[in-house]
Amino acid sequence: MNCSEIQQKLSAFIDGIVSSEEKTFIEDHLKSCSKCSESLEDLRKTVDYVQRLDDIEPPDWLRQKIIAGIRPETELKKGILKKLFYPLHVKLPIEAAAIIFIAITALYIFRTIQPEVKIAKAPSEELTKQIPLPLSQPLETTTPSSHLEKTIPSPLPNEKKAKGEFEPEQPAPAKNPAIMDKSAEEPQAPAQLAKRDEVGPSAGAASKEESRTGVLSGAAKEKVIAERKETVSISIRVSDVRTASQDIEKTLMQFEGKITKTEYFENRELVTAEIDSQKLEEFIDNLKYIGEIEKKEWIFEAYKHDVQIKIEIVKISGQLQ
Amino acid sequence: MSRQEESVIDEDAEHVSLCKKGNVDAYEFLVKKYQKRMLNIAYRMIGNYQDACDVVQEVFISAYNAIRHFEGKARFSTWLHRIVINLSKNRLSQLKVQDSHEVFSMDDPIPTDHGSINPEPISDEPSIMERLEKRDIQQKVQGCINSLAIEFKEMIILRDIQGFSYEEISDMLRMPEGTIKSRLFRARELLRDCLKRVMGDL
Repeated sequence: MNCSEIQQKLSAFIDGIVSSEEKTFIEDHLKSCSKCSESLEDLRKTVDYVQRLDDIEPPDWLRQKIIAGIRPETELKKGILKKLFYPLHVKLPIEAAAIIFIAITALYIFRTIQPEVKIAKAPSEELTKQIPLPLSQPLETTTPSSHLEKTIPSPLPNEKKAKGEFEPEQPAPAKNPAIMDKSAEEPQAPAQLAKRDEVGPSAGAASKEESRTGVLSGAAKEKVIAERKETVSISIRVSDVRTASQDIEKTLMQFEGKITKTEYFENRELVTAEIDSQKLEEFIDNLKYIGEIEKKEWIFEAYKHDVQIKIEIVKISGQLQ
Repeated sequence: MSRQEESVIDEDAEHVSLCKKGNVDAYEFLVKKYQKRMLNIAYRMIGNYQDACDVVQEVFISAYNAIRHFEGKARFSTWLHRIVINLSKNRLSQLKVQDSHEVFSMDDPIPTDHGSINPEPISDEPSIMERLEKRDIQQKVQGCINSLAIEFKEMIILRDIQGFSYEEISDMLRMPEGTIKSRLFRARELLRDCLKRVMGDL
């Protein structure tokens, strides 16, 4: 072994991990070789320097920080466990039951209010119908004066125009103005008109409104007529209103009539009753014995089943006599 | 540094099993036991006290999180040392310490962190001059360690500073003893050369 070979083994030599033969050989060589001895000495010193390095002390906070970094993690894990287990065993069925209950309740409520929602549509449509009015106006702000001229003084031609444009789109339901379907389809019309008829959309909308109210009033009239058909109004003049009222009541009972309302006024009473139309004529004949029948407004043939009868009992005053 | 654990199979087995059950107190015991050694290894590896503290923190927290997977094939301490070396290496490469591969020079500014964190007891040192001299030597030695490449650095730290056997180092770094022997030889040579340069004479 030469010196370089010996020097390579010195590191292992000082650690005592060379074989006994190698150890003897190195020891023998070191006695005769000053260079290798010096190398060994340097190596020992080097290791000695390193070994003499002072230990550094950990700061007090280090352990606390480590434990603090661990503890919330363990707590977090517990929290996760809780979250995982509780719903499975307790919370989840409760939540599920609550959701089902809410769903059923909501469905029930929805079903209950559904017809009302349909009825309530009419006024909301009225609102949406009115919206295009102010919205469409800014579109033509470029000529505000012409717009005024066009819209305000001549609503009739515009109405015609609007109707002409509107009706072809909805030909079928327009025949009967009282049909509710029409009013349901109507809200689209002003918007379309606003798009198509840029010149006078507000007027078109307004005319539509007008025609609509006309439709409604027509329907109302019909309703009133229908009501009138079912109601008989009689005015009867008597000397004693109170007694006459009682007599009428008795007579009504004879004819299986039913008083629904009695209104009292000064020297006057208004009795509203229901009576079988078949017995109506006979009943009115009987009334003749109570007082003087002044007004008759009925057509006996028109009535079916029960009719409403309004009897105005009026005290005979000197004036009238 | 001692090699007390060598005589025992794994003195920490009991605490480790408690830790696996989530016993933080048992882990605190292990932290208390090993934190100083972990800090010293990290410090010698990185050469910066604050970074070493951070790494030690990281070591213990990641070790706690991974303790469930610790199978006990190696001793807990070996496992922990493996973690501290790996994390120190990671930190070192992150920091890319400028002078980590440069030869320590006398002209370099003396790092203050070492002295400040390691005040030597006055009673041990007869004179200020000796204390200053000792501190100076220690800083030079650390400077030379810093100048070593990581694979040599870890050899010096584990063998000469921590005093682990070749077998233990082989376990920690998962490398054959032959490699350790040759690397240690090379590391010592490099360190000797460095020390000769910075101190003039050994």
